[in-house]
Amino acid sequence: MNAPVRTLILGSLLLAGVASAKTTVTFWHTYNTDSTENKILTSKIIPDFEKKNPDIDVVAQQIPYTEFRQKMLTSVAGETGPDLARIDIIWTPEFAQLGALEKVDDMPGFKGLKSQVFPGPLSTNVYDGGYYGVPLDTNTQVLIWNPEMLKAAGISKPPTTMAQFKTTLEKLQKKDGNKITQYGFAVPGPYNWFLLPWIWSNGGEITDPKVTKATGYLNSPKTVAAVQTLVDWYKAGLISPSIAGSGLGSWEGMGAGKYAGSQDGPWAFPSLQAQYPKLSVTHSPFPSGAGGSVSVVGGENIVLFKSSKNKAAAWKFLRYLLSKDAQITMATTGQIPVLKSLVNDPYIKGHPYYGVYLKQLSKAKARPPHPAYTKMEDLIQGQFQEIFSGKKTVQAALDEAAQKVDAVLK
Amino acid sequence: MTTARAMQVQKRRQGRRGDALFALLLVLPGFLWFSIFNIYPAVYAFWISFHKWAILGESEWVGLQNYLRIFSDPIILIALRNTAVYALATIIGQIAIGFVLAVLVNQKLPFMKFFRLVYYFPVISSWVVVSLIFIFLFNSEGLVNFILVDFLHIMAEPKAWLTDPATALVAICILGIWKGAGWVMVIYHAAMQGISSSVTEAAEVDGASPWQVSWFIVFPMLKPTTLFITIMLTIGAFQSFIQFYIMTGGGPNNQTEVFLSYMFTQAFKYLDFGYGSAIAFSLAVLVVSISLIQQRFFKEGA
Repeated sequence: MNAPVRTLILGSLLLAGVASAKTTVTFWHTYNTDSTENKILTSKIIPDFEKKNPDIDVVAQQIPYTEFRQKMLTSVAGETGPDLARIDIIWTPEFAQLGALEKVDDMPGFKGLKSQVFPGPLSTNVYDGGYYGVPLDTNTQVLIWNPEMLKAAGISKPPTTMAQFKTTLEKLQKKDGNKITQYGFAVPGPYNWFLLPWIWSNGGEITDPKVTKATGYLNSPKTVAAVQTLVDWYKAGLISPSIAGSGLGSWEGMGAGKYAGSQDGPWAFPSLQAQYPKLSVTHSPFPSGAGGSVSVVGGENIVLFKSSKNKAAAWKFLRYLLSKDAQITMATTGQIPVLKSLVNDPYIKGHPYYGVYLKQLSKAKARPPHPAYTKMEDLIQGQFQEIFSGKKTVQAALDEAAQKVDAVLK
Repeated sequence: MTTARAMQVQKRRQGRRGDALFALLLVLPGFLWFSIFNIYPAVYAFWISFHKWAILGESEWVGLQNYLRIFSDPIILIALRNTAVYALATIIGQIAIGFVLAVLVNQKLPFMKFFRLVYYFPVISSWVVVSLIFIFLFNSEGLVNFILVDFLHIMAEPKAWLTDPATALVAICILGIWKGAGWVMVIYHAAMQGISSSVTEAAEVDGASPWQVSWFIVFPMLKPTTLFITIMLTIGAFQSFIQFYIMTGGGPNNQTEVFLSYMFTQAFKYLDFGYGSAIAFSLAVLVVSISLIQQRFFKEGA
């Protein structure tokens, strides 16, 4: 980030009497500094854009994910926000409801963009009948396996059905007396993001399609049975204690050779490779149950702020980020593109694991798009924790969660 | 003669007035700073607490609604319980351990300065850092479980300390005691310097053991110090936030919430700034009341 240097140069140019008519566009994002995302953005994407648009100067600011929502809120309240931001898809309706975001329906070329991107990620930008952002990258979770541990247990390929999944877990479990020394699978924690694929794949639901109530969905027999299955596996030692938030984390456990499999997004692979160079992994879709093989859509949208003074220039940069070139460049850093036309691109086709993720994305659902999603998530996850710590039965906990979520959705 | 005296008085008066003005000038920067960054936000938060506060656009005046909501919120009761448990456990623990440490480092032996520094070290270390360290210590694969299970064989199975509300509270209390005992030690140690050695020597001549001297003579003489420490630690316990926020985040299912962590969640996570401010002000009233009661209690016992 050489913004200060840039400002200095800019300032000295102005002082020297050279009239500079540059528009500065500030862009906030959560690209990971540990991976190459941020490096490619600042060393390639932004310079390329500035070369094409010499009158625009893009200043990018990296903010850690955990602090991002807070920082956005503070800046929105003080009206000192950026022009553009890359935000988690689940925050888009909330910020739209706060009145912080610009409606983009009538921006030049939006209709074209709308038809070029995947419909699932696009749907996360809808609030009150309008669009308040554009999808920028997408992801989902798939299963990640250690092929050597599968082979050692006599399993030739990852399971594709729930029944197969269970027998796979049984084969992979290793015991030393009463102590379990190897688990077949690790669900990383008692959180919506990790449990939703299991609920959906077994035919369960969280809310009605219109997101107006949870009773009858979140506590329906199918959802209860789906969660109960996980509880039974956990009690039988078929999946690791990480689902209750204890024991080794999923990555540490895979790295230590104690977990044969786990579930995660496409960012897991580069991190696992960096931390555990000896570990080899393969990917497979979620096993299909009564609801099919359904995972959860993640990813980021790019949004324009109402308070921005440079909307035209900011929109130009947004459109550049959605160009084929920029999307493919970011794809090399682990960001799955959102353009439908890129599915057949040679880079994507030849990629070691994007294929599995893209296949899973065609059968993945978005979390309920609602301005109060953060609160809903807390209420549901609170009950998940009660379930996996053995304090409540699945039915009692989900009844309570449904009732509390209903109060929020009212 | 008289005129000369009158002039002297006049001068002195002027001097006094000048002094007062000068003193005001010296105080002014600090006072301005305090007003802008402490008083103004506090008053503004008080204003917010009577509203359904909107970040952008119009806020709605709701009167006492936010304050009334506190009385019907079950999580407030949980926060009250946890804060009370944390306050009791950590205050008693810190005073007991701090006093014992103060007696130990008060001896005329070599290396005492070094030990004082070692015991004081947790006090100056960052809450965030030590909270993170304690997460690792109390992890189900962490050092605490290793010692209890594999080393001492007290427990058969490793425990997930931080995912069970009761044991998570124990872990956070241990952190609070470990971090604050050094501060208590320093205060007691300083107060002990003010106790005349003739008193303790008289007791020793009468055949009291060193511990009897400490417990029956020194500790009662330090009552004002104990009052000061208790009030400071109470205020600190009620304002605890970082250790709870980092170690459990108020979870599982809000079971380890304390006032400030819950205030933070309501205001900055759910954007309910009106309710968050009301919680903060109710807490302020509670802390002041408890401090006043403590002062009464100690005075009556004196």
